Amino acid sequence: MIATHERPPMQPGLGKDQLATLLSERFALARDPRDLWDLTLVVTVARLREVVTALRDDPALHFDQLLDISGLDYLAYPNHRGPRFAAIYNFKSTVFRHRLKLKIEIEEDALDVPSLHDLYKIANWQEREAFDQLGIIFTGHPNLKRLLNHHEFVGHPLRKDYPCQKRQKLSINDPLIDQLEARLVAKGYTIIDRGVVTQPLKASQSEKASQLQGAAK
Amino acid sequence: MKVKAPNGEIVDLLTVNLGPSHPATHGTLRLFTALDGENVVGAVCEMGFLHRGFEKMVEQGTYSQVLPYTDRLNYCSAMINNIAFCKAVEKMFAIQITERCMVLRVVLMELSRIIDHMVCVCTNLVDLGALTNFWYFFNTRELVYKIWEKLCGARLTNTVTRIGGMYRDTYPGFEGDVADVLVKIEKAIAEVRGLIERNKIFIQRTKDIGAVSAADAISFGWTGPCLRASGVDRDIRKDDPYYGYETYQFDTVIGTTGDTFDRIMVRLYEMIESVGLVRQALGKLKPGPVNSADARLSLPSRDQVYHDMEALINSFKLVYEGVRPPAGECYDYVEAANGELGFQITSDGGTNPYRIKVRPPCLTQWAAFGDMLEGHMVADLASALGSINIIAGELDR
Repeated sequence: MIATHERPPMQPGLGKDQLATLLSERFALARDPRDLWDLTLVVTVARLREVVTALRDDPALHFDQLLDISGLDYLAYPNHRGPRFAAIYNFKSTVFRHRLKLKIEIEEDALDVPSLHDLYKIANWQEREAFDQLGIIFTGHPNLKRLLNHHEFVGHPLRKDYPCQKRQKLSINDPLIDQLEARLVAKGYTIIDRGVVTQPLKASQSEKASQLQGAAK
Repeated sequence: MKVKAPNGEIVDLLTVNLGPSHPATHGTLRLFTALDGENVVGAVCEMGFLHRGFEKMVEQGTYSQVLPYTDRLNYCSAMINNIAFCKAVEKMFAIQITERCMVLRVVLMELSRIIDHMVCVCTNLVDLGALTNFWYFFNTRELVYKIWEKLCGARLTNTVTRIGGMYRDTYPGFEGDVADVLVKIEKAIAEVRGLIERNKIFIQRTKDIGAVSAADAISFGWTGPCLRASGVDRDIRKDDPYYGYETYQFDTVIGTTGDTFDRIMVRLYEMIESVGLVRQALGKLKPGPVNSADARLSLPSRDQVYHDMEALINSFKLVYEGVRPPAGECYDYVEAANGELGFQITSDGGTNPYRIKVRPPCLTQWAAFGDMLEGHMVADLASALGSINIIAGELDR
């Protein structure tokens, strides 16, 4: 039913300088000098979960929405010193007006980042996207599959060394049966008999199909 | 697939693919379901069928060349995407766009919101078998497209804004056209409301279907009409106003249970609020320049280019290289028809964006869809899917 009510004014929350001071005192976080407009704080990978849990559960902060996880590859960034990858977590509150971004810096040879899927439900998919596009590995993720690209895709397209014009031949659909079974098990079902699971096309068949497609063009 | 249910019963489940090409998905979305008769026991969603690599493509061109790509995100309200992207780049330059441009953008955004909600509501109703509403809304939507056509020559993918202003000022008679179409929009809304609001079939098909609690909606990162339908009164136009929204009189519309009925009604009533907003904005539309005078963004006038060397160089640089925002990372957002549409832009000080990450509002809704559907029936899929308004262009980028 549609309700009418007096709209309570949104609480202003903390200003960005207040927020920066508070969080740098509590967690020793530094401001990211690249964000000249809003507030981005740099957090180490090891402390990410601790800081995010506090941001979410502290009643004075109440960052209850994770808007986005945006991965970044600094390989081609001019005069960049420091780790190659970064991920920016964008938080918003439904009670206060304040917003906050957290940035983690990720070394190329240590791509593991703890997953936040149990803190925010949407993190599951956002982490899958960051994995798909940049190859950041979220440890503890229940289903770290590609989100936007085909499951046979090789490489990570938003890495700066992935050539823009590169083509890949992708043909076999993701059966998704593993995800569905995991879901049923999570709901308390026990799988007794899988029944007939459709097998992917054999290589020779799929090649033939793509040849036919090529001939049609 | 044979399974043992939590109550000990042995059930034979049928696994069915709904989509990627299915009339009710209005796009390429795939849902893989386990059915017990007509009941959905488990459902998983897949996306990416319309993935064009937006975020890779935009790195190859200049900032102005990104604009036509943004049209193709949410193609039901392309202008909102244009405006959101320009607003983000303008934030990086820390410039204030002109008063007329601001008001004009409000007019265009609210009209786009109306036609976006129209498509969502009436295709949702078509999926439920209520075809008449489709004609009421699509006829009226066509009138708005006529205005777009007169304004910029394009109907669906407008590319109407420029960084720092607009493609061009309005044509003479624009205000009159918009005022006329508003009357027709109001009439169409009234007719659709008359057809569905107390319609027994409609209510039975939508009440308590796909209900999402406020806590779930927040945790799934929902924004916009779907979040408001779950009873969370948050709207960026009210909470974090831009373009002078704080000076307009309008109400946010919220639901209570977050079911399909609420989501449709929130959209329907929001259209009425948007009509009011456009009327107020038309009253504020005063003559004046639409493009910012900032030489870093706007082309100099032809007269200056022909008579002034500096202006000629500036024009040349802007055309060949485009704008160069300061190096840094910036996030900016607007309240789009579907929720918060944000652009996280990383600039290295050059002419091409280093990285642009889109925050698409409907991704969060599609992520929650499996949870919404479980426990309902197959026929409810169509009504629930239409109400969350998944636009594949924006979802898959």
